[in-house]
Amino acid sequence: MNWDQLQLKPRIISAVQRAHLKSFREVLVFSEPDLQKMTGLSRPDVQELLHAAATACRTRQPITALQLQRGECRRLESGLRLGTGCPVLDQLLRGGLPVGGVTELAGESGAGKTQLGLQLCLSVQYPVEHGGLSAGALYICTEDPFPIRRLQQLISEQTSLRSDVPPSLIGRLRFSDNIYLEHAADLDSLQVCLSRRAALLLAQGRVRLVVVDSVAALFRCEFQPGDWLERNKQLLTVSSMVHHLSHEFTTPVVCINQVTDVFHQPESSSSSPSSSVSPALGLAWANQVTVRLMMRRLQVTVSRGDQSSALRRLEVVFAPHLARSSRDVAVWREGLRGVLDPVLAPFGPDVAQQEMVLPLPLGSV
Amino acid sequence: MNAVRMRRPVSSLSLGSSLKGKLVRAGFQFVTDMQDLNPEHLSAEAGVSQQEALEALQAASSGHTVAPVTALELLQKEEEFRNIVTFCSPLDEALGGGVPVGKVTEICGAPGVGKTQLCLQLAVDVQVPAVFGGLGGQVLFVDTEGGFQVQRLVDLAGAAVHHCSLLAEDEEQRVAMTTFTVETILSNVFLVRCRDYVELLAELHLLLDFLSDRPRLRLLVIDSVAFPFLHIHDDLSQRTRLLQGLSLRLIAAATDHNIAVVTTNHMTTRLRSSHVQLAPALGDLWGHAPSIRLLLRWEESRRLASIIKSPGHMDATVQYQITCQGFRDADQSERPQSKRPRTQTDQSASSRENTRT
Repeated sequence: MNWDQLQLKPRIISAVQRAHLKSFREVLVFSEPDLQKMTGLSRPDVQELLHAAATACRTRQPITALQLQRGECRRLESGLRLGTGCPVLDQLLRGGLPVGGVTELAGESGAGKTQLGLQLCLSVQYPVEHGGLSAGALYICTEDPFPIRRLQQLISEQTSLRSDVPPSLIGRLRFSDNIYLEHAADLDSLQVCLSRRAALLLAQGRVRLVVVDSVAALFRCEFQPGDWLERNKQLLTVSSMVHHLSHEFTTPVVCINQVTDVFHQPESSSSSPSSSVSPALGLAWANQVTVRLMMRRLQVTVSRGDQSSALRRLEVVFAPHLARSSRDVAVWREGLRGVLDPVLAPFGPDVAQQEMVLPLPLGSV
Repeated sequence: MNAVRMRRPVSSLSLGSSLKGKLVRAGFQFVTDMQDLNPEHLSAEAGVSQQEALEALQAASSGHTVAPVTALELLQKEEEFRNIVTFCSPLDEALGGGVPVGKVTEICGAPGVGKTQLCLQLAVDVQVPAVFGGLGGQVLFVDTEGGFQVQRLVDLAGAAVHHCSLLAEDEEQRVAMTTFTVETILSNVFLVRCRDYVELLAELHLLLDFLSDRPRLRLLVIDSVAFPFLHIHDDLSQRTRLLQGLSLRLIAAATDHNIAVVTTNHMTTRLRSSHVQLAPALGDLWGHAPSIRLLLRWEESRRLASIIKSPGHMDATVQYQITCQGFRDADQSERPQSKRPRTQTDQSASSRENTRT
């Protein structure tokens, strides 16, 4: 650490060096009287030192919200969103996932979380004007193996999902080349993966989406019920790493989470009041999440042509810029599509009506 | 003037007499004797609690006049400080007008209950022009969680402008509306994003400079204090020390610079007599920092706000809701109440002057 950079009086610099203070950050962690004791400097000198260290630590000057809105600061909240590839879901999310912050996607198994994760890995590769971020994705699996065949199916059907994008552009994208897969069987390997592989890929600009599928798996089996404190510490460490990555590289991080049953309504019911399940990992994890989405299967099936799908509901549980709302979603060959009509009757006369409501892909019946 | 102040005896400070007695007996005759100590040292030397030591040091450095003031004069002085409305009238009433300037207010609650929304609402409401009963002030928003979304601020600003334009009754208010627009509201919100506690501490060191450059600043929001500090889980004593230092700085900023400081805090689970309870995070020592604590929580599908700590107000619980327009009353009926300053409508305050500028 080059103290000369700070333009401080020589006596201050030598006192700081004598006290073995190695960085600006170290200085800021001590109180004024403690620093006085450590360096032997007078109060005004210590204040000058703290002031200089604070100025050096500050990454940027405060900017106004007006400047932010006008896009004058690319690094901060630029209003960019990562689209999901479906206009109905993008409308639910007011454009898509925010690029700064951690989005949690929770739900029971089979709800469709991995499906949405895969779809995001593809939508991120489109240019910004089509809701993407012009970069690839890093997908970190922690339990089930990566569904490579499903990914290939989604890739081959992109032209039918993304009817808003010219097919020539879709043809140019090398989707599978830009999806990096990692497997992390335990917490240590996840931490290594995040701090090295993820950081490198993000710094190189190859990737602008990180998906962790799933976080819950890592914490549940490794800890005994009594290790609650240790578990919380690890949760906070993982959270701090993903937040750091997200803010450092203006990248959305999606953490897929499982759910646990709820037997009584806790005071802090941050899950939907109507559900009997709640995202796993408790309040400590919930406090770390910027956007919480939940997916659940409904008892309704929809059909379209030769395909049928169980209907899901994607719900915004909380988000700083979104109201609590939900949309019904169907899972087709080409991916997830939001459904405009809320509740539908199962097979019957409504099916024909449903076929009209869904945005039909080009060329199909 | 300075010399006279430095020789001021401890016994003349506006503190409790038992506290003053302990200080004097421990050898602190004059204010200068204890000025350069920090609260821990003072409490150890004088045999007083940390809270008392803090109080004593604040009184020593405040330099306020010690001539006796009447309760009426104190009330008038407090009036000048004004409050920042929340736009949820039951809550404003329970708070005695709104979030007070000159004090530290903390908003606690589970994730998603509306802490950031209330902070954004206050960031807009502090800017309401004086002719509508507001402060016409600026705001510094310190975001540590990434929850600040300009999109949402734009929604709230637009709704507030609309609300005030419906209330504009006379020429003065109409003129004020020309400078109370979404654009000017956005231009008066200064945003800083801090990624960890060191950046937060750095920002607060530079706060005084910022305040002196911007005399119109009336609100400082830190959303949240919990997030960066909860990530210090290895050295808890350091965390406590840092939080103490932080609380001193915030209280000093609020009182010395006449600003409202609003912090948000997470909830954490605690085991109290064998059943799990929710409590504000960061511990009991941090709990002494804010003068007022608001707890936001869910009850089935209702959102409730409770005042759980406040020297001047009764504990109260009100219902609120978060609409696309922002933080509002639970039953949203558009009743445009007159937003004139209280001094004009309050009949009993005939001795108070019109404080409109």
